Amino acid sequence: MAAPCPPPPPDPQFVLRGTQSPVHALHFWEGAQAQGHPVLFSGSQSGLVHVWSLQTQRAVATLDGHGGQCVTWLQMLPQGHQLLSQGRDLKLCLWDLAEGRNAVVDSVRLESVGFCRSSILAGGQPRWMLAVPGKGGDEVQILEMPSKTSVCALKPKADAKLGMPMCLRLWQADCNPRPLLLAGYEDGSVALWDVSEQKVCSHIACHEEPVMDLDFDSQKARGISGSAGKALAVWSLDGQQALQVRGTHELTNPGIAEITIRPDRKILATAGWDHRIRVFHWRTMQPLAVLAFHSAVQWPSPPMACWPRAPRISGSASGRSTHARDSPTPLPGDKEGGQGGGHRAPALT
Amino acid sequence: MAVFDTPEEAFGVLRPVCVQLTKTQTVENVEHLQTRLQAVSDSALQELQQYILFPLRFTLKTPGPKRERLIQSVVECLTFVLSSTCVKEQELLQELFSELSACLYSPSSQKPAAVSEELKLAVIQGLSTLMHSAYGDIILTFYEPSILPRLGFAISLLLGLAEQEKSKQIKIAALKCLQVLLLQCDCQDHPRSLDELEQKQLGDLFASFLPGISTALTRVITGDFKQGHSIVVSSLKIFYKTVSFIMADEQLKRISKVQAKPAVEHRVAELMVHREADWVKNTGDKLTILIKKIIDCVSVHPHWKVRLELVELVEDLLLKCSQSLVECAGPLLKALVGLVNDESSEVQAQCNKVLRHFADQRVVVGSKALADILSESLHSLATSLPRLMNSQDDQGKFSTLSLLLGYLKLLGPKINFVLNSLAHLQRLSKALIQVLELDVADIKIVEERRWNSDDLNASPKTSATQPWNHIQRRYFHFFTDERIFMLLRQVCQLLGYYGNLYLLVDHFMELYRQSVVYRKQAAMILNELVTGAAGLEVENLHEKHIKTNPEELREIVTSILEEYTSQENWYLVTYLETEEMGEELMMEHPGLQAITSGEHTCQVTSFLAFSKPSPTICSMNSNIWQICIQLEGIGQFAYALGKDFCLLLMSVLYPVMEKAGDQTLLISQVATSTMMNICHACGYNSLQHLINQNSDYLVNGISLNLRHLSLHPHTPKVLEVMLRNSDANLLPLVADVVQDVLATLDQFYDKRAASFVSVLHALMAALAQWFPDTGNLGHLQEQSLGEEGSHLNQRPATLEKSTTTAEDIEQFLLNYLKEKDVADGNVSDFDNEEEEQSVFPKVDENDTHPDVEPPLPLQIQIAMDVMERCIHLLSDKNLQIRLKGKLEHFLI
Repeated sequence: MAAPCPPPPPDPQFVLRGTQSPVHALHFWEGAQAQGHPVLFSGSQSGLVHVWSLQTQRAVATLDGHGGQCVTWLQMLPQGHQLLSQGRDLKLCLWDLAEGRNAVVDSVRLESVGFCRSSILAGGQPRWMLAVPGKGGDEVQILEMPSKTSVCALKPKADAKLGMPMCLRLWQADCNPRPLLLAGYEDGSVALWDVSEQKVCSHIACHEEPVMDLDFDSQKARGISGSAGKALAVWSLDGQQALQVRGTHELTNPGIAEITIRPDRKILATAGWDHRIRVFHWRTMQPLAVLAFHSAVQWPSPPMACWPRAPRISGSASGRSTHARDSPTPLPGDKEGGQGGGHRAPALT
Repeated sequence: MAVFDTPEEAFGVLRPVCVQLTKTQTVENVEHLQTRLQAVSDSALQELQQYILFPLRFTLKTPGPKRERLIQSVVECLTFVLSSTCVKEQELLQELFSELSACLYSPSSQKPAAVSEELKLAVIQGLSTLMHSAYGDIILTFYEPSILPRLGFAISLLLGLAEQEKSKQIKIAALKCLQVLLLQCDCQDHPRSLDELEQKQLGDLFASFLPGISTALTRVITGDFKQGHSIVVSSLKIFYKTVSFIMADEQLKRISKVQAKPAVEHRVAELMVHREADWVKNTGDKLTILIKKIIDCVSVHPHWKVRLELVELVEDLLLKCSQSLVECAGPLLKALVGLVNDESSEVQAQCNKVLRHFADQRVVVGSKALADILSESLHSLATSLPRLMNSQDDQGKFSTLSLLLGYLKLLGPKINFVLNSLAHLQRLSKALIQVLELDVADIKIVEERRWNSDDLNASPKTSATQPWNHIQRRYFHFFTDERIFMLLRQVCQLLGYYGNLYLLVDHFMELYRQSVVYRKQAAMILNELVTGAAGLEVENLHEKHIKTNPEELREIVTSILEEYTSQENWYLVTYLETEEMGEELMMEHPGLQAITSGEHTCQVTSFLAFSKPSPTICSMNSNIWQICIQLEGIGQFAYALGKDFCLLLMSVLYPVMEKAGDQTLLISQVATSTMMNICHACGYNSLQHLINQNSDYLVNGISLNLRHLSLHPHTPKVLEVMLRNSDANLLPLVADVVQDVLATLDQFYDKRAASFVSVLHALMAALAQWFPDTGNLGHLQEQSLGEEGSHLNQRPATLEKSTTTAEDIEQFLLNYLKEKDVADGNVSDFDNEEEEQSVFPKVDENDTHPDVEPPLPLQIQIAMDVMERCIHLLSDKNLQIRLKGKLEHFLI
């Protein structure tokens, strides 16, 4: 089915300019139901969080709460209007964005200066769980929010030598209410923690280099991780909660900074240290497109976010600009889309 | 001045005269009586009415031949008495009526007796006065079936007079009298309105006369124009009042199936008409023929009052008899609609009033039959439209289109019934497309070039009140009159206003895509549809009509814009690709231009035909027009959406800007005025403001298009225009784009250098303007500006012998750059070995604090990057580029 000359990868749909400093974190939010205008948050090196309206493609607000220190992680709470931001100033801020407000309502003191981003587990309930890198370099701290009570600290056994946690993913199986944590470590391994029992359920070494990011598809019980090396590793979780490496995917250039599976679980995007965003078919891991626009990468983490509904990926690298673009949208069984990568979808549906 | 107030006194005075008259009937005696009568008060006269009338009536009734003069004076005297008294007895009324009408009776012929005109006039006036003097209810009891023969006689008498008399006075009097007889008199004496039953009775009675009245009046109406307008006007009035009274739907629906037995003798009963369905149908058919005749004749009547009366006729008949005269509805509406654009403003106003009235009353909307008739008329008009447009003169076309417009106005929201039928829609759209065909043979359009590119600063002269109406004059195949184009625009706007916009836009987009032949027209129509849909210029006849909601409208506009600005519809060939070279050629051979402008035909194909098979002038013209129409469309959309358009700037502003920098004069003008429209719509007070506030959108477009330069060769132009119209705030946004430009320039030195260099030129000019002299740097700039001035003075010379002086200038520049670098304390890695040798030592001397040196301001960094590139261009093979490169250095 390979076309003789695949169409060129799509261009960005829009380049959001004006952050004035390199972007380190991105997060999409569909917006309040009533207003319906989607929003993109971007966190910059200068400590500012810009709120971009994706209707006008303009920054509508700027949140300044990290004292000029780089913002590394942004997450909207599912009940809406509350944004979490993590900064290198060792603070995790909770913002209230309802009705045009933009004030820090709460903050959590972090213990670790590492690159590790936090993770949340929240349904619609008022109480939710937060995983943050803990003290001592190898711990992961679990907090119950919004009360900020420490639930536990997940510390690997002393002889394990996993190194620092590099990335965290809190999740919950549909059938089992027990919260689980996937963590990628400096030594290239991925561990599955049972949070309530504070023990490692399973642990696999899938990379030679430190794991830079991972994402997990709880429906298919399949996850993927990328490291500073050349390979992507796909692994799965069996019924006994044991991780197994399913396969690896070799890339041309080493270094994966971030991995995101689109919420519809059809495609997967990786941000590489080679300034390129690679798009894969999540089920088959077939490469779909290489999006080349950025000219530099903010080591260690060029941020990238997948648009939850419309097929959009937003990535940022060279700083000062963030872009949203159409991405190929292969449907299951759509072979042409799988190969071509030029399939364009309407931008805002 | 009444002398005798009491009946007694009056009687005393009048008695001798009356007796005298009864004895000897002479004119003198009658006159004598009349003089006496004038001295009697009205009340006394009323008392003595019967007494006085007796000798007069006696005179009339005496058998044997009488002198006309005598009869005339008797009738006049009678009229006098009647005018001051009122008739209170039905019998008297009937008798007087018969006696008076008998005066004109000739037993020998059907026609009125051959008597003097004065007598005729006197009798007519007598009859008229008699009817006015009838007291209250008497008048109604007068109209009973038994009077039928006598009334019939009087009516036919009067009709005969109106039709056949020579004297205008008699004709008018006869018509007036007829009006009185038919109870249509508009004087103040008949204030009482009739109740339903009375109306029905009268209707039944008058129905017998309808055939006679209608045919005779039709003959009068369609008679010679020279007979004077007042006669036609009154005849029309009587005609429609009679018809609308007898054929009124209100009355007819109450007519029972079976005729009630009239309590009259058989002979009279035969004359009675029962207005049941069959009769209505037959009469309606016959009336239709007459009405059509009348309309044909009257709608072209030279006198405006007659046409005005026609409007009244249409209104009356359509309002009252829309069911009984359903066959007439088509012609009547056509007449009305055709008069909407009458040359007389009174007629126009009345027409519009009536149309509005109809709309209010939901005459058309409320009746399916009328809507059907209208849509059928519309269909047949649409079918014949192209043919009419081909054959008619401008005046004819004007009235044809007025008719079309009128139909649409009347149909209002019902347009959708027409549009929903594919056959109708296709007819209409094809007709519009055909009519709007542009004449694209004018060679000037391609030829006119915009040589100077900084005219953006001078705002175009658009009228502040209606900038959206400012559109380029265009030339059509089928008409030249601007008014016709305005009509066509209104037609489209109405369609957009009332029609289903999704359906229409879809249909015309289809046509737009279908063929390049339709494209321009379809775009024009689309533009007007949207303008109309916004409801801004449409005169709304149908109050309850709901406009398209703004959200939907914006979506529709978005999809149209997407199509307009797509690669294949926006980037059309408007000049020959060899133009870059061609510009020079043209300058060297002004003769070429002379040849081409001499012939205004399509046959003058590409004069630079030595290049590859190139598009014809015609097709380029057509392309230019298409772009212009689309640009104007964007302006109109902006106007239609108002502030909402701001959200679309993201995708639209860049393409428009691109066209503002187009080489073709027309395109660039239109694009500029489109931008003005956008300014107005979105609330920006100037182009600069618009560009400044939206520079992020523009920069986005530029940076994305720079990635595909071969597809978007004009991208650098937009940057150029933007730089010219912006201020220092822009710099942080464009910084990365400038880097992109430079990088791209590095890639395309050979092909695109010229256009890039002019961008860089604009950039340098902008930088110089944005960052005026400050401190150390300023000093240098000042110096250089001075230098620039001196060099500019030399420019003519430079241009002439550029090849020889180029080295000198280059040398100067190199030296200058050296100095500047030294002053800035900056090392730049020129690949010139000599430079390196000379620069480095100096730098070492100056650069005493390398650690604390602050980063260079952005503008200087950019300026340096630019200069680095330009230095290479100084030795370019192409003279133009070389010159431009130098120019830039002057600026710095």
